[in-house]
Amino acid sequence: MKRLQDLKESGGKAFVAYIMAGDGGLSRLSEQVQYLQETGVTAIEIGIPFSDPVADGPTIEAAGNRALKEGVTLQKVLDEMKNWTFEVKIPLLIMTYLNPVLRVGVEHFVKECKKAGVSGLIIPDLPYEHRELVEPFAKKEAIALVQLVTLTTTEERLEAILNEAEGFVYAVTVKGITGARDEMSGDVQAFMRRVRDKSPVPVYAGFGISKAQHVELLREDVDGFIVGSAIVQAFQDGTIREIEPLIQAVTALNPV
Amino acid sequence: MTRVKICGLKEVQHIEAAKGADAIGFVFAPSKRRVSIEQAAELAQHVPISTDKIGVFVNASLEEIEETVEKVPLTMVQLHGDEPDELVEAIGVPVIQAFSIRSKEDVEKLERSKADFILVDAPGTDYRGGSGKVFDWSLLEGAQVDASRLILAGGLNPANVRAAIGQTNPHMVDVSSGVETDGRKDAVKIQEFIKQAKGGSMQQAVEKIGFFGKYGGQFVPETLMKAVKELEEAYAEAKRDPEFINEYHHYLSEYVGREQPLTYAKRLTEAWGGPKVYLKREDLNHTGAHKINNALGQALLAMRMGKRKIVAETGAGQHGVATATVCALFDLECVIFMGEEDIKRQQLNVFRMKLLGARVESVTKGSSTLKDAVNEALRYWVTNVEDTHYLIGSALGPHPFPTMVRDFQSVIGEETKRQIVAHEGRLPDTVLACIGGGSNAIGIFYPFIGDESVRLIGVEASGEGLHTEKHAATMAKGTEGVLHGAFMKLLQDEAGQVLEAHSISAGLDYPGVGPEHSHLADIGRVEYVSITDAEALDAVVTFSRLEGIIPALESAHAIAQAEKTAKDMKPDELMVICVSGRGDKDMATYAERLEGLS
Repeated sequence: MKRLQDLKESGGKAFVAYIMAGDGGLSRLSEQVQYLQETGVTAIEIGIPFSDPVADGPTIEAAGNRALKEGVTLQKVLDEMKNWTFEVKIPLLIMTYLNPVLRVGVEHFVKECKKAGVSGLIIPDLPYEHRELVEPFAKKEAIALVQLVTLTTTEERLEAILNEAEGFVYAVTVKGITGARDEMSGDVQAFMRRVRDKSPVPVYAGFGISKAQHVELLREDVDGFIVGSAIVQAFQDGTIREIEPLIQAVTALNPV
Repeated sequence: MTRVKICGLKEVQHIEAAKGADAIGFVFAPSKRRVSIEQAAELAQHVPISTDKIGVFVNASLEEIEETVEKVPLTMVQLHGDEPDELVEAIGVPVIQAFSIRSKEDVEKLERSKADFILVDAPGTDYRGGSGKVFDWSLLEGAQVDASRLILAGGLNPANVRAAIGQTNPHMVDVSSGVETDGRKDAVKIQEFIKQAKGGSMQQAVEKIGFFGKYGGQFVPETLMKAVKELEEAYAEAKRDPEFINEYHHYLSEYVGREQPLTYAKRLTEAWGGPKVYLKREDLNHTGAHKINNALGQALLAMRMGKRKIVAETGAGQHGVATATVCALFDLECVIFMGEEDIKRQQLNVFRMKLLGARVESVTKGSSTLKDAVNEALRYWVTNVEDTHYLIGSALGPHPFPTMVRDFQSVIGEETKRQIVAHEGRLPDTVLACIGGGSNAIGIFYPFIGDESVRLIGVEASGEGLHTEKHAATMAKGTEGVLHGAFMKLLQDEAGQVLEAHSISAGLDYPGVGPEHSHLADIGRVEYVSITDAEALDAVVTFSRLEGIIPALESAHAIAQAEKTAKDMKPDELMVICVSGRGDKDMATYAERLEGLS
């Protein structure tokens, strides 16, 4: 995760891709990760399907349901990753709801993540108040527990969360669930600036980023972008090459 | 943000007092505060899931430590002896290593520790471990220990803890004797210590209230945290405002038609030949079930918070109807999410909601029942959180919902208690209620929880049988997990995916039970049993014909169990059944399933 900090310091912008593990079968995961890595993304979030994904919109939920039908589980994803023989050159994160983690055991989960080469965790239904459930275990394996902040996060909470932020801060750009959108609310820029001013780690905008114009709008106010639904949909439709311009829009000016 | 550990706890009441702490410690080494593995495991049931449970050991073997970690279970281990680095590194959970500090040389020793956290303490006296003596905190100045690894102990108390934090800015402060009176833990001092340690920080606002034992919490996306916190504050304040309470009771009496009778069921009593049976008549409420007690309370609270849009989920449609009703009454905008499967089963209620002016959204995801309707309602709330209140229908969801719903439903139990004493001059021997999420049950049970002579029985739905996969018997078949914002008991598979529940009764068709019920089950205060679809249908017929009351399918589960329980009771004993709703909404199911009834 240190390279994310380095990228920020060199003035570059990060492109973080989200994919749903096992959408189209678990065997596709390695080719998807390799493809994205070759295309120049900065980091990859590997989503774990869950039966009740309340923070996700229809695109990611549908992808999760397809993955569940394939019998994909948290453990299977980690086992798959442990067997990869290709070189992973960028940080990989696991994004999962809390319940599958509790089910396999937090300590076991974190150790398995370490073995699978995971360097960060995002757990959308584990708020700051309950981070103790996971954080001490993650810390022991030097895995970052990435926190989310949103437009509804109060000033006091924001400071507390940023104070302990690790890896990067996931700044949610919308009041709502994941999913591609046409419009961005006007107060997003101000919010991003506020978060970035206070954050000791890079600030990435996520939820609803699907177009180059979103990137242009926020480019100066964030350290990177997280793109989920648009990528998940493109993999599903077989049109992933059409995402490349979006990745370029973010990373083209980065120092090599 | 310094965390707080309260160490050496031996009693449930002190665990409860320490709920605002981030960690609690059990001492397994020789000490007056020593507990056995079994005692610690029992106490651990009362610790919120997100609080660390730390075991304190002195020169124990790896096997002993591992066994204790597994059985309690512990989330961290604290070592107070001369444990070698190999042991420290072999322990699976995060480790705290304690050092007594007398001089600068001692500080160097702790700098070399392999443990995740370093605890500094005053030198031990009668036994290894904390002595309660204050050490010279200034010794730590300039030590090569990252403050994020440092745990401060030794002579801390409510009066000096702020100063200690100010001087060393440690990861955690640890107290034991500083919160005792005459050698025993003191609940008031524990709370005062936590308050002082957290003084001024936002942590004060996030005390671990909202837990029932280890169950509960606020496991929701960050977008909802502000709304959940606001609701928590608004409810805490409303609860203490006599005007709010009066208004709530005014509508209960003038609009819902309370109080409802506690009807003596003469023919049922004779037919069963057991105890004297009384029926708590929630079926007589306006809209036909207990759901309106809660809908009314939450709608009043929403308006008090300035929110005029309501979103709700519904299973059987009773909560949806109750919500649509109060929204019509108070001119609130109303959207109800309902599973497609339930819409089919409860056509009449769907039309009722529409007639009342609500928008009914069909949910076609997952099992298309209550669980999925809650998911959609939560998503809607996430997206419209600024002006919308989520009027949850059962004792589920993130804090404060389980507490709030229970409080609004407790009117059932409060009336029952008054009425049975008026009728019989004493408390009942047994109270039964059906359980899906558990709102009518917690409502009638809650005022009796402290009355140990009263046997409380919750009846869940075993659908086509516990041996099949088609049931909703979470207590019988479930395990712990997080769903819809709370840590509770759930029906889930090995991978932590939530399973679909099944019951003929749409209102019991939920794969979890609320956090308070989960706790009451663990501590054995309430017994939970289950009744099949077929048994419930039989009870519908019996009850209709003996008492002239056609019960809701949900309530029929409690009635069916009552008949079984009555067999082991004597004629001088008293039984109360909560008839949570009437059967009008189930008439299509009854007509279909009881076809050919003679």
